[in-house]
Amino acid sequence: MTCRLCQEFLDDHASLLQTFGFIKWQKRQICQVCEATFSLIKTGCLGCGRNQDTQQLCYDCQRWQQQGKQLLNHQALYQYNDAMRQFMQQYKFNGDYALRAIFNHELIQKVQTIATDMVVPIPVSQHTMFTRGFNQTTGLIAGIKYQSILQVRTTQKSHQSQFNRQERLTREQIFTVKEGVSLQGKQILLIDDVYTTGNTLFHAADLLYELGAENVKSLSLAR
Amino acid sequence: MKVHYGRQIIQPKIATSSEKFTISPAFIAHVCQRCGQKNNEKLPNNHFYCQACLSLGRVSSHDVLLSYPEPNDFTGEVILSWQGRLTRQQQDVSDELIETLARQREHLIWAVTGAGKTEMLFPVIYQALKQKLRVAIVSPRIDVIVELAPRLRQAFSQTDMVVLHGAQTEDYRYTQLVLATTHQMLRFKSAFDLLIVDEVDSFPYAGDKMLEHAVETARKSHSALIYLSATPTKALQKRVKHHELMASYLPLRFHQHLLPTLNTKIVSDWRKKLPAKFLKQIRQLTQNHGRFLIFVPKVADLKPVFQMIEKHFPDINGAYVHAADPYRQEKVQKMRDEAYQYLVTTTILERGVTFPGIDVLILGADEAIFSENALVQIAGRVGRSKDRPTGLVLAYIQHTTLKIRAAQHQIKQMNRRGKRLGGQ
Repeated sequence: MTCRLCQEFLDDHASLLQTFGFIKWQKRQICQVCEATFSLIKTGCLGCGRNQDTQQLCYDCQRWQQQGKQLLNHQALYQYNDAMRQFMQQYKFNGDYALRAIFNHELIQKVQTIATDMVVPIPVSQHTMFTRGFNQTTGLIAGIKYQSILQVRTTQKSHQSQFNRQERLTREQIFTVKEGVSLQGKQILLIDDVYTTGNTLFHAADLLYELGAENVKSLSLAR
Repeated sequence: MKVHYGRQIIQPKIATSSEKFTISPAFIAHVCQRCGQKNNEKLPNNHFYCQACLSLGRVSSHDVLLSYPEPNDFTGEVILSWQGRLTRQQQDVSDELIETLARQREHLIWAVTGAGKTEMLFPVIYQALKQKLRVAIVSPRIDVIVELAPRLRQAFSQTDMVVLHGAQTEDYRYTQLVLATTHQMLRFKSAFDLLIVDEVDSFPYAGDKMLEHAVETARKSHSALIYLSATPTKALQKRVKHHELMASYLPLRFHQHLLPTLNTKIVSDWRKKLPAKFLKQIRQLTQNHGRFLIFVPKVADLKPVFQMIEKHFPDINGAYVHAADPYRQEKVQKMRDEAYQYLVTTTILERGVTFPGIDVLILGADEAIFSENALVQIAGRVGRSKDRPTGLVLAYIQHTTLKIRAAQHQIKQMNRRGKRLGGQ
C-alpha cells in the first residue's frame, strides 16, 4: 500500500483487536507526512465555517444578513490552504477520481452528525460531466444516501472558478430543481467541495427555500 | 499550428477542432493508446481513465487523441561550435553512429563511465540536423538532462532547443532539437528521425513497459535509435548477443586511463558510530583539499551521517541531498562550483554527473540498494578529468557480498579490455 498523494510506502496494519473487529479499523489512505499538511478547522464562524478563534459572525456573513439572506450554518472540515489547493487541482482538474477516497470517511462521519431530511449535493454542468466525467462533490460523499435534485441551467457555460468575487456575486440564479420534487417542510443539507464566497450555496438555498424547504444548511470539505 | 507538429494531444470527444488533426480513439480494448498500458481507474457511468500516464494529463474514455504529422519544417542550417577532438576509439564509434543514422537502425553504445559519450554523439547529431531531421535526446534521469543541456546548447549554438522535464517551467515550442526525460515522449507521436536514449539501463526506464512504449511511438517508423549505457541490462546484452541490436564497445576512457578500482574496508556498524578508518580517510582527504562524495543506502541515513561528519570536521563545507530535496539542483550546482567540499547523497548521484577530481566513499555498500551496476556507476564518478585521471573508491562494509565481487569483476574486465587498447 502506498500513500495516495506522495506514493511513498505506507506502513499500515491492523492491530490484533482491530483484526478481530473489537476496534473499528479504517484503512489509511495517505501517509502522516501528507496528512500533516492539511489543517483542520476547529472553531469557525457560525455562519460560514471560516477558521477563526471565536464563533462570531464574520464580516462576510454580516453582509449576507444585511442582504436579507438566511445564513447557512455552514461547516467545513479543512482550511483551503496550499495542500488543499493541490489536492483539488489533482482531484478535480487533473481528474484523478480515485482520490475521492481520501476524505470520504471523514465527510460521511460529519454528515451523520447533522440532523437532516435530505442530503443534496451541488451539481456540475452537463459539459463538465462529459469532460471531467464525474461530480467532485458526489464523489467525496460516495456511500451515503443523497438526492441529486439540483441541475445546472443549460446556459451555464463557464466554471465558477474563472470568475472573481464581484462577478460571482452578481451572477443570476444558476440552478434549477428537477420537476416533481416536493420540498415542503424539509430540512435540507447542501454539500459542496469548496466554500469560497458562498455564492453557489446561497443560490441553491434561495431556490430550495422558494420551493418550500423549511431549513437549509450546508457542509463542504474545505473553506 | 506549428506547435502541434509531431505531438499527441488529448481532447474531450465533445470538443471540436478546426485544424486537420488525425483523430484516434483513446482506448482500444481498455488499453490506453497513449502509453500502451492497461491500468484503469473507474469513473461513474462505466467510463474510466488511465492511471499509468496520469501525471502527464489524464486520458479518459471521454477523450480522443489528436496528432499532427511531423513535416520536418526546418532550414537545415546548422553550425557545430564544438571545438574538441575525438580520440581514435571515439572516432570509430562516432563513424558507426553515422552509419546507423543513414541505415535507420538501432544501435547500442556500450562505453565505460567517462568514455566521453556525449562528445561522440555530436557528429551524428550534426549530420541529422543538417539533413533537416528532427532529433531527440532523452534520459530517464532528470540530473542527466540538466547536465546535458548547457553542453548541447554550446555545441549547437545556432540551433533552437527545448528542454522538457517534470520540474521545468519553460513552455513547449516546436524545435528541431529536443532534450527531455523519457516520460515526455508520451506527448509525441511519430516525431523523431533520430532518437537517443542516454543511461538506458537506469531507473525508471529499465524494464518499464510504458516508457519503452513512449520511446517507440515518439520515433518515426523509419528512424534511427541509439542507446547509451555504461552498464547495459541483461535484456539489452541478450539482444546484442542474438544480433538483434548492433553494438559499439568502448572500454577505455577518453583520457586513455583505466577505471579506478573498487576497494573495500571491513568496519563495524557505521550507523551507530562512524568508523575510525572512515574518519581518518576524510581527515586525509581534507588535508589535501580533496573533494568527495559520500554515498549512503537510505534517505534516512543522510542527516545523521552529515551531522556526525560536521561535528568531526566543523570547518569544511558540505551538504546532503536526496531525490525529493527541493534544493537538489542548487546543491549539485554548488558542488560543481566547488562551493561545497563534499556531498552526502543517495544513489541519485550515481550517474550522469561529473565533479572533476573527486574521490568517493560508500557507507554500507553491502546493502541491497547498491546493485552491481550501481556500484560500477558510483566508481565511475572518480577520475573523470584529464588532470586527475585516478582517485579513490572506498566501500565501507560489514561483510562482503556477491554484488561487490561482481562489480569489482566487471571493472577488472573492462580494464583488461582497456589495456589491450593501450590504456594505462
